[in-house]
Amino acid sequence: MTDAYPPNEENVLEVRGLSKQYKKGVYASEKVSFSIGEGEVFALIGPNGAGKTTTIRMIATLLKATEGDAVVAGHSILTEPDKVRENITYLPDEAGAYKSMTGMNYLKFMAGIFAPDKQSADEYVQRAVDMCGLGDRLGDKIGSYSRGMIRKLLLSRAVMSHPKLAILDEPTSGLDILNALEIRRMIRELAATYKMGFLLSSHNMLEIEFVSDRVGIIANGHLLNVGTPAELKAQYGVDNLEQVFERVVKDNEIHVSSEEGA
Amino acid sequence: MYLLKKELKELLTPTTIVILVLCVFGLTALGSIMDSEIEKSSEETGKINICDQDKGTFSSAIIEAMKAADYEINEVELTGDDYVKQLKDLDLTSVVIIPQGFEQQMQDIITSGEGVELKPVNIEMVSRLESLSLTGNMEDGSMMATTAIDSAVKTVVYSKMGVTPEQMLMLEAPVSLKETTIVGDKQAEASATMLSAYVMMSSMFVPIVIFLLIIYSSQMIMNAVATEKIDKTLETLLSAPISRLSVLLAKMTAASVVSALYAVAFLIGFKDMMGVGGMTDTISGALDSSVVSQLGLDLSMGGYIMLVAQMFLSLLITLAVSLILGALAKDAKSSQTLLLPIMGMVMIPYMISMFTDISALGPFKWVLYAIPYSHTFMAQTNIILNDMPAYFGGLIYQLILLIICMGCAVKMFTSDKIFTLTLNFGERKNKYAKARKKFGVKQ
Repeated sequence: MTDAYPPNEENVLEVRGLSKQYKKGVYASEKVSFSIGEGEVFALIGPNGAGKTTTIRMIATLLKATEGDAVVAGHSILTEPDKVRENITYLPDEAGAYKSMTGMNYLKFMAGIFAPDKQSADEYVQRAVDMCGLGDRLGDKIGSYSRGMIRKLLLSRAVMSHPKLAILDEPTSGLDILNALEIRRMIRELAATYKMGFLLSSHNMLEIEFVSDRVGIIANGHLLNVGTPAELKAQYGVDNLEQVFERVVKDNEIHVSSEEGA
Repeated sequence: MYLLKKELKELLTPTTIVILVLCVFGLTALGSIMDSEIEKSSEETGKINICDQDKGTFSSAIIEAMKAADYEINEVELTGDDYVKQLKDLDLTSVVIIPQGFEQQMQDIITSGEGVELKPVNIEMVSRLESLSLTGNMEDGSMMATTAIDSAVKTVVYSKMGVTPEQMLMLEAPVSLKETTIVGDKQAEASATMLSAYVMMSSMFVPIVIFLLIIYSSQMIMNAVATEKIDKTLETLLSAPISRLSVLLAKMTAASVVSALYAVAFLIGFKDMMGVGGMTDTISGALDSSVVSQLGLDLSMGGYIMLVAQMFLSLLITLAVSLILGALAKDAKSSQTLLLPIMGMVMIPYMISMFTDISALGPFKWVLYAIPYSHTFMAQTNIILNDMPAYFGGLIYQLILLIICMGCAVKMFTSDKIFTLTLNFGERKNKYAKARKKFGVKQ
């Protein structure tokens, strides 16, 4: 079994006992620890309301951790959030984009924020244009895009700057099978070629099994298990990650909530 | 029936019911305030302050005739023709002056033979213009004073002297009113009623512009922030390598620029609209234009700058508050509901200031003073009437409020409160607490 938190200088992310406590002692996430190495794809899986999005949002510097810390490319989310933001990109689940902008203008706008200079911004835009595959539709307003087109645009935006860590919440939600396959291949390629670390969250176990190097199972705010898909399957003596997930839920008597966003 | 029930249930939320109740009580309260103001104005109008400078038997008889006709007469003494200090010292808003020689002039008319050209006898009315509101104008009793004196003169003449038919005809309009109006420390010969009507007509669009500007800019930025939060574009932006303060300032600046453009468009549009059909020309035709300038009743460049400064502060307060409220919105519907407090804060002083002077409302005025927009609606009157303590008091209050509101907005944007705080109408329980309860997890 892989260590949940192997300290390593080459890790792009080290999460150390990260907790988020809301009022009246309500924990959305409690003492979560794991790490992601360079070029590694790490996936968080768990039922709705388990604490995946809260953990991801803390790492993305959107929520303040009440305990613990996370270090991204050597920078603490608590003390150096600005430096952390220079090394990450975040794609929220079911995110939208500015409907009155054209796809191309959106990419230029976001490239302007992430790129250090004009030349780099142009490079970022070109990469995103190549990756999203929207062609001439990039000249149309985003308001006229389908959900799948918006997701492809946002995904290409999230990786165009080749960040040290790309945090993708449900990256392929809303995409058809062919587009989802393309995105999974793209994630693997970017991780291998540019040594980008990926932190994913998904309910699609097939996708997780295909794309992830390691998987963390989170429930009730606790990280219950971490391992490669093969290790987890062997540990629970099952054939696929869906069965692993089912076993974890049953073993821990977790009721699957219909609520999202935790 | 089931469909109707479902639709009604969706529309008649607890918030809607609260608003309905507030409307009933709020408008009733507003109505009673206005009623009491109008009543007060009517009482004021019933009093006639008279300064008898002639001190003849005729003028005394006229005053007695007015008293006999149930007019409340207050006899005062004024000397010279500098009335500014004297009216202020006596705390009077208007005085009818029966000038020296009044009796002689009346006698000349009465004893004049046939064929002699007769002219009405002059009496004088001095008024202090303290308000530009509708009920404030009712306090000017020049028309009533003229009628009362006309009637009194007729009564005295008919009862005590023999008159010719020509004299009788003349006595149908025996006096003409020469009016002097005081504004601040300036006085000029003009009717207070005409002056206030002129000022009202030429500047009534300013409160409308303020009202529209605040509502529009509030809705604009609230929707912008709520949409960014709901679409999660705000999460993307705030996790990007840019300062959160710059995100906040960019939103505020952009909204200020667009609102300013709207303000200019509204001002030009309304000014043109007021010029259509000679609405102000009709009144200004009856006034000597130099009198308006002489009394400082037209806004100078400095006055406009002061007015714009107060409007700008109000706009910034609106944007800061709307930004916070927009960030608290859970969905598009709740963002619309969150607009209501701002609408209420604008509507109440706007409506009250249309009918009466906020500063003349007794203890209730302090409640209105607490609403920042009251000072915006009062600004124009304060500037015109040269009430600088009231203007700068309002400006300083708004500045303090702006600093507090901006501080809250900055704190919200630079912390995670922008993502954790929401106003869930009727949903008091924390969703995580509910989830934990559902899972049976002990805290």
